[in-house]
Amino acid sequence: MKTALKQTLCMSALLGLGAAAYPVSAHHSTTMFAHDKVVSISGVVKEVHWTNPHVAIYVEGAAKGDKPATWVLEMTSPGNLMRAGTWKRNSFKPGDKVDVDMAPLREGGKGGALKKITNTESGMSLNANLREQEGVVEK
Amino acid sequence: MRNVRREVMALLGISLLPGVSMAQGIPGTPGTKPAAKPVINPPPTAKDWADIAKLPDWSGVWTHVRSDQDRQMKTNPPPWNEKAAKVIEWQYAEERAGRPPPLFQNCLPEAMPAWMLVTHNAMEFAFYPGRVLMLGESDSARLRRIYTDGRGHTDDPDPTFHGESIGKWDGENLQVDTIAMHPQNYIAISEAQGIPNGGDMHIKERMYLAKPDVWADEMTITAPKVLTKPWVTTRIYYRQRLRRLDIVEGTCLEGYFKPAADKDGYPTWEKVSHDPYGNRTPPK
Repeated sequence: MKTALKQTLCMSALLGLGAAAYPVSAHHSTTMFAHDKVVSISGVVKEVHWTNPHVAIYVEGAAKGDKPATWVLEMTSPGNLMRAGTWKRNSFKPGDKVDVDMAPLREGGKGGALKKITNTESGMSLNANLREQEGVVEK
Repeated sequence: MRNVRREVMALLGISLLPGVSMAQGIPGTPGTKPAAKPVINPPPTAKDWADIAKLPDWSGVWTHVRSDQDRQMKTNPPPWNEKAAKVIEWQYAEERAGRPPPLFQNCLPEAMPAWMLVTHNAMEFAFYPGRVLMLGESDSARLRRIYTDGRGHTDDPDPTFHGESIGKWDGENLQVDTIAMHPQNYIAISEAQGIPNGGDMHIKERMYLAKPDVWADEMTITAPKVLTKPWVTTRIYYRQRLRRLDIVEGTCLEGYFKPAADKDGYPTWEKVSHDPYGNRTPPK
């Protein structure tokens, strides 16, 4: 067995992170997204999963010059989104036309961490930045 | 049949051993030890409730300061032992490669001390005579129960996710002593960096208002299986009072599913696929 693979498996075993432990959502880090990059798409909302611990919006859309595809945009929890702005479960609904900025998946799939979403008809725009609420601490 | 009889008698508290009375332990029975007087939790008095009003005001919704959590990863890392430090190094490498180790993906409670160290969800407090409750938004109704009625630790308590917490008010501070946590509980510094404590962990906390709207938890974590010395670290939370920001239900397992309809048209939950790191899988 190659050393790197062997090391990875040993570490995984130590942490109890065998393959069987993988198939769930739950609380997870977001470093599978390239936070130093922004991908912008325009499209139509297909589904909204207003669920814990990560809300998701599915958008049928495309980046400029790209083919349309279904993108999965992940966010934090409903409670956190409410506190991060004026999010509600129906802020965005299937059928809404939207522009989206996201930190894309590093591995190149059609997904990303949502940074900003704008309803192109109403102009209503929301982000998912929890840190904006932290100003009180500095007072 | 004999075994069944034995089990039934055991359930009824009837001993099968010769010479042992079924009345053993009943006060007044000759030759037996009187049973210890049971400890009861007395009903709170009006004074007990009035004393609650003298405690510091921890009402409102408290949210972790995420930027401080991020900062502390660099400025005050745990004193990991050599073996743990290697695992942490590997976890950082995995994160840099876009493969964050999924420490909390099984939806079990983040538990102590990871809840206090790395939570990404708000919480609130409830004061009752003899106890302080911490109610988290995550894991449906994540709960820490801290007894402040003067009791000590029990003998050999069962290990649990949040351990056995005994608190004592010391002026404006709540001093908390926690033992009996599962060895699997992570000492975590993020959702992707952490090591199971391995057992024999002991946590002392000083909880207090650092500012009118900033609550602080100064923790001293002793975990001889993974740390070379006790780790002192503080996490802070900020207060919000807007009613629209009240705590909501947050069930971790919900993320497995999305609303759907079954074959008869009734509402149901349909499984959603995820990648190995916890992210929903984009459709092919």
